[in-house]
Amino acid sequence: MTEVISPATPEQLREAISWALGSKTPLEIIGSGSKKTYGHSVAADHVLDLSKLSGIMFYEPEELVMSVRAGTSLAEIHALLSDKNQQFHFEPGNFPGLLADGVTDHAGTIGGLVASNLSGPRRIKVGAARDHLLGFEAISGRAEDFKSGGRVMKNVTGFDLSKLMAGSFGTLGVMHTITMKVMPRDEKTRTVLIACDDIESAGRAMTRAMGSENEVSAAAWIAREQVGMLGVDIATGIGAGIVALRLEGPAPSVAWRCEALRKLLADIGTSEELHSTNSHVFWRSVADVAPFAGGAGILWRVSAAPASGGAIASKLAAETGGKVMMDWAGAQIWLQLAGRDAMADKVRDIAVSYDARAVLVRAPEDIRNQMSVFHAEDAALARINARIRENFDPEGILNPGRIGQMLTKQGDA
Amino acid sequence: MPEPDQSTLARRKDIIAAMRDIVPNEGGVIVDEDQLRPYECDGLMAYRQLPMIVVLPENTGQVAAILKYCHTHKIRVVPRGAGTGLSGGALPMADAITISMMKFNRVLDIDWDNRAVVVQPGVTNLGITRAVEHKGFYYAPDPSSQIACSIGGNIAENSGGVHSLKYGLTTNNVLGVEMVTIEGEILRVGGKGPDQSGYDLLGVITGSEGLLGIVTEVTVRILRKPETARALLLGFNSSEEGGNCVARIIADGIIPGGLEMMDAPAIKATEDFVHAGYPLDVEALLLVELDGPKVEVDYLIERVGAIARECGAVYSRISESEDERLLFWSGRKNAFPAIGRISPDYICMDGTIPRRRLAEVLTGMQVLSQRHGLRVANVFHAGDGNLHPLIMFDANQPGELERAEAFGADILKLCVEVGGVLSGEHGIGVEKRDLMPEMFTEDDMKHQERLKLAFDEDELLNPGKVFPTLHGCGELKTLHAREVADKFPDIPRF
Ligand SMILES: Cc1cc2nc3c(=O)[nH]c(=O)nc-3n(C[C@H](O)[C@H](O)[C@@H](O)COP(=O)(O)OP(=O)(O)OC[C@H]3O[C@@H](n4cnc5c(N)ncnc54)[C@H](O)[C@@H]3O)c2cc1C
Ligand SMILES: Cc1cc2nc3c(=O)[nH]c(=O)nc-3n(C[C@H](O)[C@H](O)[C@H](O)COP(=O)(O)OP(=O)(O)OC[C@H]3O[C@@H](n4cnc5c(N)ncnc54)[C@H](O)[C@@H]3O)c2cc1C
Repeated sequence: MTEVISPATPEQLREAISWALGSKTPLEIIGSGSKKTYGHSVAADHVLDLSKLSGIMFYEPEELVMSVRAGTSLAEIHALLSDKNQQFHFEPGNFPGLLADGVTDHAGTIGGLVASNLSGPRRIKVGAARDHLLGFEAISGRAEDFKSGGRVMKNVTGFDLSKLMAGSFGTLGVMHTITMKVMPRDEKTRTVLIACDDIESAGRAMTRAMGSENEVSAAAWIAREQVGMLGVDIATGIGAGIVALRLEGPAPSVAWRCEALRKLLADIGTSEELHSTNSHVFWRSVADVAPFAGGAGILWRVSAAPASGGAIASKLAAETGGKVMMDWAGAQIWLQLAGRDAMADKVRDIAVSYDARAVLVRAPEDIRNQMSVFHAEDAALARINARIRENFDPEGILNPGRIGQMLTKQGDA
Repeated sequence: MPEPDQSTLARRKDIIAAMRDIVPNEGGVIVDEDQLRPYECDGLMAYRQLPMIVVLPENTGQVAAILKYCHTHKIRVVPRGAGTGLSGGALPMADAITISMMKFNRVLDIDWDNRAVVVQPGVTNLGITRAVEHKGFYYAPDPSSQIACSIGGNIAENSGGVHSLKYGLTTNNVLGVEMVTIEGEILRVGGKGPDQSGYDLLGVITGSEGLLGIVTEVTVRILRKPETARALLLGFNSSEEGGNCVARIIADGIIPGGLEMMDAPAIKATEDFVHAGYPLDVEALLLVELDGPKVEVDYLIERVGAIARECGAVYSRISESEDERLLFWSGRKNAFPAIGRISPDYICMDGTIPRRRLAEVLTGMQVLSQRHGLRVANVFHAGDGNLHPLIMFDANQPGELERAEAFGADILKLCVEVGGVLSGEHGIGVEKRDLMPEMFTEDDMKHQERLKLAFDEDELLNPGKVFPTLHGCGELKTLHAREVADKFPDIPRF
């Protein structure tokens, strides 16, 4: 029978994990469950729900730092930040729509966000959640308190376990307190839109823009049929696929760079400009992968070296008949397939031939559990990963199976 | 340091023969005392120890073979880059092989389209910029030692520099590494794209001080050189006002390319040395550099100037030419040798604090200075709150080195007390390892050691560094999950 355990303090969290450890009871850890359908199903009857473990510990806008309990909702955090005209610079997307699991009325918790280390379009300039996590406190699978990092911007005091926790999907320890770097919002934002239907030319345009002095903070390509899903009339009005390039910073600088960029890419196609509000709506939609939200189709995410994005995306589209979208200047390619065939071998072969990685983001549970959702690691890396997992969670009680068999202790689950 | 292992020392001849088999190249294995001498310390010269032998491999296969041999025969290994480290991370051991990576000195691939450069770890930090500057690119992290230090050492120490405030530390600029484990396995982590699979091993390898493996290849991202850079010199009557100005600039959403501060003793020492034209009647001097397109720089210079006036700046000068900008920097860049001129010896500490506690920490340092009877000067990366107190002493005076070390330890404790950390960029090494408990509990440290054990179960790689001496990982191996009661009554259940 499923039992939900909802600790409200770090002490209660430790007690819960002590109990699980002592009784060898695997736990499924959830923030708000917005990503339950991402990755593999967890082989656990008991749920450790962190949503009660919430609250702001401190927020010092002048110091650009915020410390919160892990179960705090992103809605609350974003509201607080926006009051002070600040933001998470890695602009997390909002995925409930994308994952289409019926959970649509919340935007997740900060713990879930850090544990999945996923980030929005600005990643190409400022990095992912991992790059903004200054420190954390957690309880490991050994039911021991541990922390790493701190609240300052520069720190090489011992191993950087914050990096290890970011993206670990709750399999090493359960974070209860998270300290993040925050940033002021930019004074001005503009987006250059260039009409471009050809995927490979779009890739080349993004590469040229990124190699220029114009400090592009986001670069995406959206196909003609999908532009309408972004909610920005100017973009739809172009009537073609678009390369979108964002510029942010002080007003005179943004205006100047906008001009420079339009000149630089004049040979690609006609261009338009989105101003601040439209830019915000546009990039929020890109962060949320709006063109592929709500659908039930299978969704892949291919992660590549940026300059190979155009070639990969065009090959994926041609060989699978799916729909593609590129973000991160080509380094992130979304592929949506109609129907129930994940075409895993085909997608992975194409990815691997470009030294890229493919992750199955959305698929019915039976399909997800029949195959490896994540990219298979080579044997030497897998061994190290498995040892880390075992050293932090020897009984395999934290989210067993979540990130695949590779990291799950043999014999568990 | 851990006691030298006598049985290893007894096998020295065999080990030398084995190393010569693996690295037959001329000069690849160093065994004579006079040739070992240059390796006896790194930039932290207070600690010295001759290595058992030094090996200079030239390719990844040789590194793998050396490490496999060491793993099989339980021989300790100390990785070494250029030896400029300031925390003793490359300090040799009497029973260990020092592996110098300085023959790994080639730039392997410049991928302009992906803005990624693949280099061997012995390439210097500046060497990367040199390889790409003809096309207007550069590698952003810029430790002051960049002309000498290796990119492998930068990764091991997660090095930073003046540019880190805006462009990040090493960890934010490395895309991938090839690394050899102590078992001789070759790992490739990351690449030219942003993502890797599994746990973020690239993130933990960066800053791991040579304890997890030997890095044999590095991929970094390069950036376009900003069109323009201009600098402001701002003087204040107190470090408090200077500190406030730093906070105001950043809170205003302006992230300068560099934001450095010097206190009165440092201003005086550097002005006497390089004559940069620094004002001598201020208590704190800020050096603010703005970079980007010219329109942006001109605009921000105005804004920073206005903020400085509001914060009570009593001195303000804006660079009007590239020469003048470089002149402003010449003082800051020469701060270490300038201190070297006024004191026979100095040690450079490295702690980070929350920016707003700056004035308090500087005052605290003055109190400590009197208590320990030694002078201190401060130059630091104010934008990141990363302090570099320079403690002046005379090693020829009995007891002064010890007093300087005690003073340094007190400063770092003060940093931790106000919410800061023991090291911002130089690492823990041997220098600060016994201070680790100031920041970390036993359990915190055990979890760091568990990461170490996942890579190096026998603790052969760079032992004696980072972890307090009485705190080997050994006892962890037998640690079992503790049994606990199956009750937790005060947690709500649904
Ligand atoms: C494919 C995909 C891409 C995404 N991309 C982005 C993006 O680009 N930018 C972005 O910001 N957001 C992104 N998200 C969504 C974002 O991560 C969510 O909004 C996040 O905040 C959800 O939080 P949650 O609490 O609902 O997560 P949950 O689904 O509850 O948890 C997610 C994972 O984290 C673990 N976990 C949760 N809390 C903790 C904790 N305290 N300690 C340890 N482990 C914990 C869970 O066990 C689970 O493995 C993405 C999500 C998916 C599925
Ligand atoms: C005058 C001066 C100014 C400095 N200024 C700065 C500064 O502004 N910012 C800053 O961050 N640092 C600074 N430093 C410190 C030092 O330059 C850096 O820590 C640098 O990264 C060390 O590089 P290295 O090649 O000299 O490494 P070494 O000193 O040789 O080694 C440092 C550590 O790295 C490990 N290591 C080296 N190569 C490898 C490898 N290939 N694989 C695995 N481990 C390896 C060693 O075991 C050791 O633990 C300064 C030093 C000096 C002397």
